Amino acid sequence: MDDPIGTTVNGERCSLPGGASVLLIDALREGLGLLGPKKSCELSVCGSCTVLIDNEPYSSCMTLAQEATGREVTTVEGFGRRGELSDVQQAFIEAGAIQCGFCTPGFVTAVHALLDRHPNPDRATIQRYLAGNICRCTGYAPMLEAVERVRDRRLAAAEAGLEQVR
Amino acid sequence: MTGGEAFGDLRAKVTGAAVFASDSRFPGMLHGALVRSDVAHGLIVALDTAEAEAMPGVTCVLTPDDFDGIDPFYGELVLDQPMLAIDRVRYVGEPIAAVVARTRREAVEAARLVQATIEPLPPLFNSDEAMGAGAERLHPNGAGAPADVPNICRESRLAQGDVDAALAAAAYVHHAVYECPPVYHYAMEPHCSLASWEADGLHVISGTQQPFRVRDTLARMFAVPTSRVRVRAPYVGGAFGSKGEAKYEPVVAAMARKAGRPVQLLCSVEESVHTVTRHGCRVEMWTGLDSSNTIVARRSDVTFDTGAYSDKGPRIAHRGAHRVTGPYRIANYEATSRAVFTNTVPAGAFRGFSTSQVLWASESAMDEIARHVGEDPLEFRRRHLLREGEPYLGFDAPVDADLGSDLDEAARLVGSATPSSPDTGTGLAIGVKDGGGGAARAAAHLRIHPDGSVEVHAGAAELGQGAQRVLARVAAEGLGVEVSRVEVRLGDTATAPFDRGTNASRTTVGVGMAVAKAAASARVALKVAWLADGGAKGSLRLDGADLVAGEDRRPMVDVLARGSGLPAREFPGLAVTGTHTDTQEEGSDFFPTLFYEVCATGVRVHVDRETGEIRVEHLASVVEAGHVLDEAGGHGQNVGAAMMGLGTSLTEELVYSQGELINANLIEYRVPTIAELPPGGITSVLVENAEGPGPGGAKGIGEAGIIAVAPALANAVEDAVGVRLRRLPLHPEAVWRALNQTAGSSPDERGR
Repeated sequence: MDDPIGTTVNGERCSLPGGASVLLIDALREGLGLLGPKKSCELSVCGSCTVLIDNEPYSSCMTLAQEATGREVTTVEGFGRRGELSDVQQAFIEAGAIQCGFCTPGFVTAVHALLDRHPNPDRATIQRYLAGNICRCTGYAPMLEAVERVRDRRLAAAEAGLEQVR
Repeated sequence: MTGGEAFGDLRAKVTGAAVFASDSRFPGMLHGALVRSDVAHGLIVALDTAEAEAMPGVTCVLTPDDFDGIDPFYGELVLDQPMLAIDRVRYVGEPIAAVVARTRREAVEAARLVQATIEPLPPLFNSDEAMGAGAERLHPNGAGAPADVPNICRESRLAQGDVDAALAAAAYVHHAVYECPPVYHYAMEPHCSLASWEADGLHVISGTQQPFRVRDTLARMFAVPTSRVRVRAPYVGGAFGSKGEAKYEPVVAAMARKAGRPVQLLCSVEESVHTVTRHGCRVEMWTGLDSSNTIVARRSDVTFDTGAYSDKGPRIAHRGAHRVTGPYRIANYEATSRAVFTNTVPAGAFRGFSTSQVLWASESAMDEIARHVGEDPLEFRRRHLLREGEPYLGFDAPVDADLGSDLDEAARLVGSATPSSPDTGTGLAIGVKDGGGGAARAAAHLRIHPDGSVEVHAGAAELGQGAQRVLARVAAEGLGVEVSRVEVRLGDTATAPFDRGTNASRTTVGVGMAVAKAAASARVALKVAWLADGGAKGSLRLDGADLVAGEDRRPMVDVLARGSGLPAREFPGLAVTGTHTDTQEEGSDFFPTLFYEVCATGVRVHVDRETGEIRVEHLASVVEAGHVLDEAGGHGQNVGAAMMGLGTSLTEELVYSQGELINANLIEYRVPTIAELPPGGITSVLVENAEGPGPGGAKGIGEAGIIAVAPALANAVEDAVGVRLRRLPLHPEAVWRALNQTAGSSPDERGR
């Protein structure tokens, strides 16, 4: 059964395959060809399949496509504009936070959600928020550095914007 | 850490555009699922596939009856593993049949309907049972094994001097047993392979570290010419040893052959754990000291539980004998190392290839002995460490690093002085592993196109270790062009020259040198053509599509074409092949080491006496890199390996109950998360002495950072609270029991 209501995926209106048994990750990967979200643990532990639904992170491997119906879904492909990387993506490259790359889409997605909810996170907040995303390659130190870079840049930019207003 | 740049794989990976095997598709592709044994050891008396075959969407079910024209056995040195069990199963999880269906879900559901009748045989759950008198033999004994002890897959012995006499005369003999359980790699991408039989032969896409070995294995098993097998390794979602040699490629090729359609097999994590593990290991060690507290003898007896099939077990046991004694001056030593067949998941390569397990023993023992004689563990090590230039074990290549200064640096970073807070301590360990994996030839094709852009083809695989970026830098530096002008294409047997595989930290050295030589040949060829064309003398460089020397600028293709008699429009640019042979003698049992991977690990821990929890406050990992080609990538390997070592030392353990793995999932098998990052961080130091055999004096460093972590932790725990732990992982419960002196559960009681 196709989605009659209409869902937004990465800013575009589209139909997700519905039905009681279609997982969101399969709807995205097989139905829409969005291969960014990855299948690893299939138990909602590793975070490789993380997507945003209305700006909240979800494990798409344990979420039914139905749950996303009529809502706004964002995958890693939805960050950045017209070939430009998002600030988080840019920081991941700068900090060396990418090795095999299999966890990267989910991690980038989770970091966007983290900074959306906590614009000025301390280290403990970052560690708590990202504990649902496993990376076996990097040892996480570069991820932490990437998040702190984006946080500081966004705060500096906001400060500069405030200065202009004054 | 300084920043990585957005070239090579990074941009594709960060945007979700990078394609892995699990993202790959063949047109018209079907999906596979394996039927696995739920019996550890038994005879297959019947296999009923009728119900599965009748399911909607199911194309066929593959069984050993379909092996007409196929040699179903594979392995690294010993071809003892069948793609599907034939008559006899040897571990829980062993594939016994395979379903091909329209979707993965249909295949998985139909696989549950295949009825296997298996008559149980007595199972051998651990190496003691397997070596026991009268134990049923799972396979014939392998090389070096005593005939009268059953189930020895391989036994190797390495000795010098007279250990018996030296131990008998010793003033003090330290004797201890060290154990570590099997653990799992957990590369993020589970095993995934695709196969398609086409007019020009067999095409395979697979998350593999060794595409050429897989190609050659498939050609042999399916009796097709090598020229008709093409294997491609796209971006591989991590490997750490778990994706070497053939794994599921043979069975997928057989499924596709029977179905007459391309097939993809994507394993679950649980299935991947049931594919290959890191060997559980037991080391018994005797170390003798003379009256001046100098080590005069060491005897090591190492037993690796290698599981149901050989896989890489024989070489792991063999190398274990070389690595267990440690980088010390010990006149009399003897090391015996064996791999033993049991009815458990086959064990194979894992980052370090036996080194982590055997160093767990020898570097723990060094601290224990130092404490016994009342000497600082660092000073005690320093007195015995091999100096730069001394031969390892008395016969191998000279040590190519200053090991003592590496330890000093690690100690300085974590603060070796008496800790100020109670229950806090520091620990050190040093690891040395022969790198490069033995004699090998590496090659790379390099093309300079008419527009001046550069393309490199090599047979290594990109596992996340950064081969693509390192090789791009080597080519760019060699040619004097911007790195953004270089495209490195890896892991395709149809386009790349032969490569033995991406393992043993060998790519930067071997393939790196091949690329460097290709770039050097290209430069010479351009210079010769330039001078023949009457170009100006002086330093020649490639600038876009032009060759330039001083004020003289000419299109490269014009220069090359004028010498060839072809019109420039017909000229394809320049193509060269670089080859590099590691200078090692073949045929010797223990070949001379090409370079040593060296890591000094220091940790500072706090131990909670109430709970037994070990809190790692800071870790320092000092690695000999020779020459750093990619700074972010180099530190990334070091920090990532150290963190993996924290996992395999503190929480990770595959637990068997009656031969069945009971925690083959990420909920019960805990790998480190970002929450486990030490508050003081992981300090990575890459020492550059330019003594490596790779480009600019580089060494491989992929394995170094993990090998010394476990003993450094146990040494720190003793420093903090005075208890000694000799079994991994260092669970809070084990620490608590040691602190409270209650009897711990023995390994047998832990459900092996």
